[in-house]
Amino acid sequence: MLIIGEKLSIIAKRVREAMMKRDKGPIQEIARAQHKGGAGMIDANIGPAEDGGEELMEWMVTTIQEAVPLPVCLDTTNYAAVEAGLKVHNNDYGLPMINSTSNDPERFPMLELAARYSCLIIGLTVGKGGLPADEEERSAIAAEIMARAMEYGVPLENLYLDPLVLQISTTQEQALKVIKTIGMFQELNDPPMKTVVGLSNISNGCPRHVRPVLNRYLLALLMYEGLTAAIADPLEVRETVKTIDVLMNRTLYAHSYLEM
Amino acid sequence: MALTGVEIFKLLPKTNCKKCGFPTCLAFAMKLAQRQVTLDACPDVSDEAKRILGEASAPPVRPITIGAGDKAVKMGEETVLFRHEKKFVNPNVFALEIKDTEPDDVVEGKINDLLTSEINRVGQLLRIDAFCLTGASGDAGSLEGLAKRVAEKAPDVPVIISTEDPEAAEAALKVFGGKKAVLYGATEANAEKMAALAKANGAVLGVRAEGLEPLTALTEKVKSLGVEDLVIDSGARRAREILEHNTFIRRAAVKKNFKPLGYPVINFVQRDDPTMEALIAGLGVAKYASIVVISSAEKWKNLALFTLRQNIYTDPQVPMQVEQKIYKIGEPTEESPLLITTNFSLTYFIVSGEVENSRVPAHLAVMDCEGLSVLTAWAAGKFTGAKIANFIKESGVEKEIKHRELIIPGYVAILSGAIEEKLEGWKVTVGPREANALPSFLRSRAA
Amino acid sequence: MAFVPPKESFAGRVFPVTIGSEVQETFGGENTLPFHTFEGEVPHRPLIAYEIQDVPPDDWPETVRMVYDGVSDDPVKWARHCVEELKARAITLRLIGTHPDNKDLSADDAAKTVSEVLGAVKVPFIVLGSNHVEKDSEVLVKAAEAAKGHNCIIGKAQEANYKTIAAAAMASGHKLIAMSELDINLSKQLNILITQMGFEKERLITDPMCSALGYGLEYTYSVMERIRLAALAQNDAVMQPPLVGDVGMYVWKIKETQAPEDALPEWGALEQRGILWEALTATSLMLSGAELLILRHPKAVDAVEGFIDELL
Repeated sequence: MLIIGEKLSIIAKRVREAMMKRDKGPIQEIARAQHKGGAGMIDANIGPAEDGGEELMEWMVTTIQEAVPLPVCLDTTNYAAVEAGLKVHNNDYGLPMINSTSNDPERFPMLELAARYSCLIIGLTVGKGGLPADEEERSAIAAEIMARAMEYGVPLENLYLDPLVLQISTTQEQALKVIKTIGMFQELNDPPMKTVVGLSNISNGCPRHVRPVLNRYLLALLMYEGLTAAIADPLEVRETVKTIDVLMNRTLYAHSYLEM
Repeated sequence: MALTGVEIFKLLPKTNCKKCGFPTCLAFAMKLAQRQVTLDACPDVSDEAKRILGEASAPPVRPITIGAGDKAVKMGEETVLFRHEKKFVNPNVFALEIKDTEPDDVVEGKINDLLTSEINRVGQLLRIDAFCLTGASGDAGSLEGLAKRVAEKAPDVPVIISTEDPEAAEAALKVFGGKKAVLYGATEANAEKMAALAKANGAVLGVRAEGLEPLTALTEKVKSLGVEDLVIDSGARRAREILEHNTFIRRAAVKKNFKPLGYPVINFVQRDDPTMEALIAGLGVAKYASIVVISSAEKWKNLALFTLRQNIYTDPQVPMQVEQKIYKIGEPTEESPLLITTNFSLTYFIVSGEVENSRVPAHLAVMDCEGLSVLTAWAAGKFTGAKIANFIKESGVEKEIKHRELIIPGYVAILSGAIEEKLEGWKVTVGPREANALPSFLRSRAA
Repeated sequence: MAFVPPKESFAGRVFPVTIGSEVQETFGGENTLPFHTFEGEVPHRPLIAYEIQDVPPDDWPETVRMVYDGVSDDPVKWARHCVEELKARAITLRLIGTHPDNKDLSADDAAKTVSEVLGAVKVPFIVLGSNHVEKDSEVLVKAAEAAKGHNCIIGKAQEANYKTIAAAAMASGHKLIAMSELDINLSKQLNILITQMGFEKERLITDPMCSALGYGLEYTYSVMERIRLAALAQNDAVMQPPLVGDVGMYVWKIKETQAPEDALPEWGALEQRGILWEALTATSLMLSGAELLILRHPKAVDAVEGFIDELL
């Protein structure tokens, strides 16, 4: 289970301020904490970043990789910023990931980057306007993204399909559909397609004490369905990951398994 | 039972030849699973696969098209009972009844009412879709005469021929050869003759029985006679029976995959009082009718019914969007405040409602963000500094107001710098995060 | 193939709510989807309440304002007219004059109006504030007190002011409308919060917020349908109070009920259009779950009652 640390997001005030002031301290501190918590990759969410996105992404990638030996997930809709990040990324720590392409033509160029830089890419199964209704519709979009990835020369093993987790507080019926989609995505190819979710979106808008509960139980269900990766807070979900791995007989049980 | 996309994929040639218009067989299979395409698009599929897929992919409510050309309308294909589960697929048809016993001027008036019924509402053209020509006189020549008159004046409009007399039916049907009319009148008594007529004239057959059990028997009989394009009438006329029968028919089709009732439903809701007729028609719209036959087409009544049909058949998954423009709320002057939000219709309804409540006249700039709410639109890169600045410049609002202050939603406070940078001479003010704080926000500024 | 009617029955039931003292009306109580008399019990017909207000309806469009010409200058006369001439089964008194942007009438003014109107006629009452969150907490407290003993419905309690209003309704033995804004989850949350104060859920009426035909009706329609399904199929007790459609207020402010025929000939006759707009909004919401409707135009009320007659 790959956990992509989600804490370096422009939506968080502390991170936003550090980004604006180019203050490495908080960024590296958060990156280290996530690494220690079990993250295998760090998400760098700089928002749409219309202005100065390239320079900001460059700075984020180098700042993160100075602190931790992990690849970075480049999270922005700004094409140039993604490319700038890919150029400075240290691939010795693993392949970077682009977050994301989708079935919206505006996002197709991201596939071109993924092919050119031989990196990983998230395929968000949404089209232009409107949210996918159910697992069938998500799978249909996934099939189109897969076809397009092949056209652009992105190997399917580099594509991570994202069913788009929606907020439980506004679209409750979607949670179960997302869970079912994970199983369905894997059937779309042999070897099975890889899958990823933005986990904490499930609890977006919920009270603080409820959020980790929702995030953890959803992750457990998704792992049961065979999820490959999750963008999540490693400190929040590490016990869940370890426990599900034990329950599914993927790691050997010991009384101290949580401490390992 | 419907197959999943992957199950369908296994039955396809897997050549990725693209002849179907999709990049891969997998992509095509997924579209098939959602019934967004039909199997004929694949030229290489095996007969075996066709058979399996044909059975599995038949929708629970058979798709039926009536009429020909631009004004042909498709019905059926519904898959759910409640619109929040999934979009209701094909909006119902409104059919205006003309009886062959009605005086010439009334007939003339109704033809004209239908031909001028088209209204544009939020970008969609809405109209009375069809005529229902009823042989009330019992005289074949009289119904044929009416049919000829309608065919001459309104050649493109789909028609329903309503008679149980095969002779009258035949004469009238001939007038609409090749136009996929509905022949409404197969009953237990005349089923053989009517089925033969429908077959010979390429018509859709309307079948009527009193109650759901007899209706089941009748559709099975007609099917065994070789007619499969049906619309069905359980004989329900009062609201109570319409609700009961339509509900059972939809449930049987969708939940039990009960084929004998898996056809579009026709409801007759004619009443002397047009307001009451509209309310019963509204019941048909909301509760599963595919054809609603009405007796009059007053413009005020049409507008309300078209609007209801549009509301009920809106896709609950695609956020309703309002038009991108600068809306005036109250009677704003060139000094009135300017606010901006996205074009998700619920966002618009709530924000404009709260601005109205504030009783401070204002300009509300509504920007096309594909129907996303403010925070989602921002995250998706659709509601950004550059795009907002561009929209404000191109909207022409600068000619309507003297000041240069833009109030943005509190959720995107982060954008204020970027907007000011790109909109020279403008000041950006951060408004409240939630719309319900707008009245006090606007009033405290006005004071 | 034999046809077996695919009937559905549910574990849950909507609470019946009885209002009024000398004359009473009950709505709700069904254990099936709206008007599904063919597979469940629908013991009570939906209740339609005429809307009147504490100040003259200057901002109502002409079609509906003219109907009350000569009586609407005085809420007591207006209420009597509704009961005696129009045979109203219930009345909604909206204290719109208390809104700071209206006449900013005081809570005492409101209480006085409530006492006078309730003293004049015997039908059950719904007493509503002006939807101004702060002002309603003052006004409705006094109004509830003034209506003590009349077993009214008080409203509307919203997230920002439910504590005071619910406490007032509880103290004076009234029922209460809990309103949220087109969000089924917030609607459930508000009902939970109110019941956590000790207010019985059997005395609540849920208002998921109304919208007019063409102006978001599909949202209210689907939220109501989902609330009904939660009450019946999931047997969710918090979602079992009856639903109210506050229709008149939303219908009589839109363009379709105001634009004259000479300006928009393709829209047809204004009077019939306005009446149908109100009636069709109401019947559509009844089909999705509303058991209590608040309407303005007598002809719309008559049409809706006729529609109910055909369904029950």
